[in-house]
Parts: sequence; C-alpha cells; structure tokens
Amino acid sequence: MRLNLKGRFALLKRRDGGFVLIEFAIALPLLILIAWGLASVTAKIFYLSKNQLADYVLETEAQYVIERVTQRARAASSITVEREEKYNLKIDKIELKYRAVNDDPENANLNVADVLERQIFVVDNKKLHAKRIDDGASTSPITGDNYFGGTQINLFHCDLNETEKILHVTLEMESLISGHKIKINTAVFMPGYGS
Amino acid sequence: MRRLKNILGNQRGFMLINVVFLTVITSFAAMILMDAAPRIRNNQTSMRLIALNLANEQFAYLESRAARGLEPDAGFLGEGEDLINDSFGNENMPINFTVETSVTGGGNLRSVTVTVKWQSGGENFEIESERTIRIVETS
Repeated sequence: MRLNLKGRFALLKRRDGGFVLIEFAIALPLLILIAWGLASVTAKIFYLSKNQLADYVLETEAQYVIERVTQRARAASSITVEREEKYNLKIDKIELKYRAVNDDPENANLNVADVLERQIFVVDNKKLHAKRIDDGASTSPITGDNYFGGTQINLFHCDLNETEKILHVTLEMESLISGHKIKINTAVFMPGYGS
Repeated sequence: MRRLKNILGNQRGFMLINVVFLTVITSFAAMILMDAAPRIRNNQTSMRLIALNLANEQFAYLESRAARGLEPDAGFLGEGEDLINDSFGNENMPINFTVETSVTGGGNLRSVTVTVKWQSGGENFEIESERTIRIVETS
C-alpha cells in the first residue's frame, strides 16, 4: 500500500522513533538562542556586581581618607604642604603637627603625654600613606590593594589659608576596576593653628 | 509499570509553536533585564558624601568667620568651582550643587543649618546639616 506525504508523517508521529532531522534542526538554534540569552544576562549581572563592589570600595576609601585628613587637621597646630607633581598629577605631601591629648594642668599623666604628634600624608605609587616618620619607606598604604577593587589617587591637593586658619582639601580617586572617579572637596577650620 | 507506561504514553509533549512562543518571551525578558540593569546602580550615596563634605566646607568658613567675630553669611563661602562635580561618569553632564545657609539664635550662639541641593536623573535631592557656632567677642 502506497501512502501519500501526509500519511507518512502521520505514521512517523505514531512511532516513538525519536526526533526527525527537521525537528532537531529547528530545536538546536532555539536552544542556542535561549542559552545565549541566559548567558548574556548572567554575565551582565556578574559584571555589574563586580563594578558595584569596586565603586563601594572607592567610595569607602575616599570617605576614610577625607575624614582622617580633616580630623587630624582640625587639631593641628602647624601644617606644611609640599607641592608635588607626580605621575603628571597634582599630588601634595602634607605634614601636620597636632596635640594628641587635652592640655590639663591637673593631670600629670596627660601632661607627660602632651607632646606635639606628627602625621604625614604622602602619596606614593598612587596610594596614600599615613606616616609618623618621614623615612622614605612606603610599605603600608591606607588606600588601594583592596580584594574587591583597587583604587588610585588622581589628585590630592591641600590649600592652606593661614589668615582664616582653613585647610581646603581636594581629593580625586579612581577605581581600577570600574574606571569610575569620585572627587571630594572640603575644608576644615583649625582653631588651634599657630598656637 | 504498564500503568505508568500508559500514563506517559498518553502525555502530550510541547508543540513547536509552544517552544517558539517561549523563546520569544524569554528573549524579550532578557532584553528588558539587560536594558534595566545599569539603572539599578545608584550613585546617590556618593553624591550624599560629596554634598556632606560641601556642607562641612561651608561650616569651616562660617566657623572661621565666627572666630574673627564676624556673623555667619548666607551665601556659599567656599571655592565656587567645588559646586560643580563630575564624579561617576558625569563628565559630560556635571552635577551642580547649591548650598543654602540659614541662621537662627541670638547672643553669642548661632544655630546654623546648611542645606545642599542637587539634581540627578530628573530628581531633586538634598541633605541638611546642623551645627552650633559661637561668635567670638572681639574688643
């Protein structure tokens, strides 16, 4: 008995013989398309998460640097700013001398400790170092080298206004992962400056 | 076993048209997700940090004036260029901050409120910072 084309397909459908070539040929591109779409979305989500973490590190480090510098400067009795041009960037070196404890004449222990302490903020290899002694060694930076994203300092600029007792600080940092930059400008009044 | 075979044998599988529809819907969902994902990132915490430091800058100048016996000034006393910030990829569209100062109180003490405002993505944002400043008496 000869079957027409429709009859042959009907016969094929009745048998459990697996895929016919045409089904496979249609299913494979569809599968590839779905897999490609899912892979793209997953990759994008991972990429964004990585950048988001790097931006968080950038923001946290910038906040830490600016707070540390301004808090030290707030208690400063003298400040020396050295203008430096490093890596074609405006990067200053700043040395502060500040009182570590309150001057209390009744407290012998405090008077012993009441010495002017020194804090130096210097940028080396695009990382900020907070040092007590200016011995040229740069081994423990307070920025960069974070596991979730490295950072670099693009600009660290301090302007001292001795008459108004104001230190104006500009800091620009960049994430080495996301390439985003954050620039913070602030100023601090130093009531004890020159005392 | 035979019963299970019968049940499975009577099950209808997906038709090609079902798979095509599913693919189209999944592709649309993927496109929407990929388009929307960058918008999830929110820079407002960084903007707040920048704004807070601008407020601190204003306070520094106000305190400096107060230490010289001068009354607080309502205008922004810091560097004018600090009010324009191009952080976080806003090089082409820098964000403009405005700083407003309100002063209340009498005698030597002033309650100073500094408000920093900015606009980003069509939305308005602001932070407020307060401090008490003592005007030094100069004779």
